[in-house]
Amino acid sequence: MISQITKRDGRQVPFTVDKIANAIFKAAQALGGNDYQTAYQLALQVEDYLENTLGNTTPTVEQVQDVVERILVENGHARTAKEYILYRAERTRVREMNTRLMKVYEDLTYQDAKQNDVKRENANIDGDTAMGVMLKYGSEGAKQFYQMFVLNPKHAKAHSNGDIHIHDLDFLTLTTTCCQIDIEKLFAGGFSTGHGFLREPNDIQSYTALGCIAIQSNQNDQHGGQSIPNFDYGMAHGVAKTYKKLYRQNLVKACQLVCGLENAPEKIREMMDAIAQETGLVPVLAGDNGYAQEEARRLEILIDREQIARVQEFAASSAVAETDRSTFQAMEALVHNLNTMHSRAGAQVPFSSINYGTDTSPEGRMVIKNILLANEAGLGNGETPIFPIHIFKVKEGVNYNPGDPNYDLFQLACRVSAKRLFPNFSFIDAPFNLAFYRPGDPNTEVAYMGCRTRVMANVYDPQRQVTGGRGNLSFTSINLPRLAIKANHNIDFFFEELDRELALVVEQLLERFEIQSRKKVRNYPFLMGQGVWLDSDKLGPDDTVGEVLKHGTLTVGFIGLAECLTALIGKHHGQSPEAQNLGLDIVGFMRKRMDEEAAKTGLNFSLIATPAEGLSGRFVKMDQKKFGILPGITDRDYYTNSFHIPVYYPISAFDKIRLEAPYHALTNGGHITYVELDGDPLKNLDAFESVIRYMKEAGIGYGSINHPVDRDPVCGYTGIIDEVCPRCGRREGEGVSIAHLKRIGAYKNYNADTIGYHGDPAEEAQRTPNSLS
Amino acid sequence: MQNTVQNPINEEEILVGEGVGFERIRRITGYLVGTLDRFNNAKRAEEHDRVKHSVDTQLEQI
Repeated sequence: MISQITKRDGRQVPFTVDKIANAIFKAAQALGGNDYQTAYQLALQVEDYLENTLGNTTPTVEQVQDVVERILVENGHARTAKEYILYRAERTRVREMNTRLMKVYEDLTYQDAKQNDVKRENANIDGDTAMGVMLKYGSEGAKQFYQMFVLNPKHAKAHSNGDIHIHDLDFLTLTTTCCQIDIEKLFAGGFSTGHGFLREPNDIQSYTALGCIAIQSNQNDQHGGQSIPNFDYGMAHGVAKTYKKLYRQNLVKACQLVCGLENAPEKIREMMDAIAQETGLVPVLAGDNGYAQEEARRLEILIDREQIARVQEFAASSAVAETDRSTFQAMEALVHNLNTMHSRAGAQVPFSSINYGTDTSPEGRMVIKNILLANEAGLGNGETPIFPIHIFKVKEGVNYNPGDPNYDLFQLACRVSAKRLFPNFSFIDAPFNLAFYRPGDPNTEVAYMGCRTRVMANVYDPQRQVTGGRGNLSFTSINLPRLAIKANHNIDFFFEELDRELALVVEQLLERFEIQSRKKVRNYPFLMGQGVWLDSDKLGPDDTVGEVLKHGTLTVGFIGLAECLTALIGKHHGQSPEAQNLGLDIVGFMRKRMDEEAAKTGLNFSLIATPAEGLSGRFVKMDQKKFGILPGITDRDYYTNSFHIPVYYPISAFDKIRLEAPYHALTNGGHITYVELDGDPLKNLDAFESVIRYMKEAGIGYGSINHPVDRDPVCGYTGIIDEVCPRCGRREGEGVSIAHLKRIGAYKNYNADTIGYHGDPAEEAQRTPNSLS
Repeated sequence: MQNTVQNPINEEEILVGEGVGFERIRRITGYLVGTLDRFNNAKRAEEHDRVKHSVDTQLEQI
């Protein structure tokens, strides 16, 4: 007699025949049956069978289900048996999802970020905050749901077993990756954030404030980065407006004080309005448009002729100085805002980038100088700003050589980067970027998303191979080392398998694109609703976005070229020219496939050197399980980033640049090369600049120099800290006396409740950003 | 509020910053991160392995 049954969670509950009968009956019902009596008879047979085979032991749920299947088949109910098996499989799937997902949720709930790698998947999300964990719950739940019910099972399998990695899977059905926001176009005439209309800004401070809002609003519509491709050109309009306003104010002041002009504000405004209306002239920073002459003529009616030159001189020079100051404050506010204001479920500041460096107008130059100085000054306590990512566009004839109009700003960019790690440098002269460049059209200057994404060519609309209003739609990366390990030194076989994998990824990207295409403008109130994305201004709120999305890129990425080459021929591309040649063959092969696909579909298929943050450890962990620890391949906790020479391999900066540069030409969806410099690069700015120049000459598209930037929050020292802080002499975690901090000038606040850093004498001394040199 | 810190004798004894670590800003996939604590395990290992690239030897060549 069976009295108990063991459930999956180990609990024992009373055994009832009715439950078995019900399950059989439901399976039969699915096929149109309605004979409960037969179901009950079959259930009794199941009970008999169990008693005969198990004796006194308590059956488990699984055992009972096995017997049900068997009895059904033996009694000639094959179709019902099949239905029952399906029902059982479905239940298992749901149960597995529950337990697997619930286990993830449990860890998210009860472990802090220090123990839980999932919480640290993305370093810019604080996984210990309420909104950070909430974001993770959503993200992990969505990933599992899509894998089970939305993705093509073929793609889901390739993703879950680590052949490929579908990036940002949690956003599969929701949105696209990133966008270059054309700030000039957006600001013209004002815009709406969804909760009220913002007028076209009227001075540089509102320009940067609205710039931040635009980035934040767009970040809520996409999962990737947000970038401004034309920061200098866009903000220059704000500088011009501020100058005009400040010139008028100072002219009023001078006319009042020096000449005793009555009702000066009204009279001057009337005069300036008349000049603008009749001649179209307004005061400009350069003072070279003939406005001053026109104004001098008209001032004769208002003030003493002798005083005109003096008054104008005062107004112009004061306005220049004040505009410069105002611009610095505006840039400082932008940097502060982009490091503090959160979007993306409130867990993360926007992934913001700004590109600049080529605007040679006096207003544009003022923008570039001050954004650099604001980044150099750092945040409130001298901390290094994390955002925005600054990208300085290098161009011959504009800022690259001594004598170029913005060469001084290129040098300033090197100095700031040597202290603060930003700006990174992009190179318009790299042949693959120069091909799109049309002098005088900033929209054809390459702009990068800070992480490295690049969108330039446009097979969908060859008339518009531009940066503004475009971005990546989605990308998926290939596990190159695994393909190589499986090829077992057979290079032909490797290429065959790579080709197959590329076909799979292309198919997956197209299926994802189908989902994205069905979304409507109203799903993206800012990105599409405000016309940020190219051509979205031609759509209504209920139109689907599929057609305009074709301006974006569908991108295949890769990781671990170095490990892949080691697996194939025993050496990576830093070690042997043969490996370098093979590496270029492999990446060139992938690029060729993308070009073919683009020609075939009219969609912008491209190849990216994957950034791989969360991915860097995921593939190798699985491959270690699969293949064991293979020296030079799976023997570290990460696969080497994209086409990079491994970080642990000793090589000179110049060799590294020379070897990586040809891959930039092949990876049209994005790339970056890093060099790690030792010591404090501020002490050797010539070397710093020479590395950047070498990148340009070698044909690098986008590059950057890494060097240690440490900070002691107690005394505020920023620089290199090994074991001991060079300023206050403490070790990590040690206390230092208030008296000592006072002696070195790093402690000014006598309130013991707010201990810690209260001012950085060295850095504050450097903050002289308003000089006009 | 205590005013004890006004006393110069105590100022030699009152320590600040105990348990406070150094911030180490590093670049990761193109952007910066203010503290290594937020790096995932793989990126932490990668950061640890990074070696410097010399520039001295070849400076003359450019």
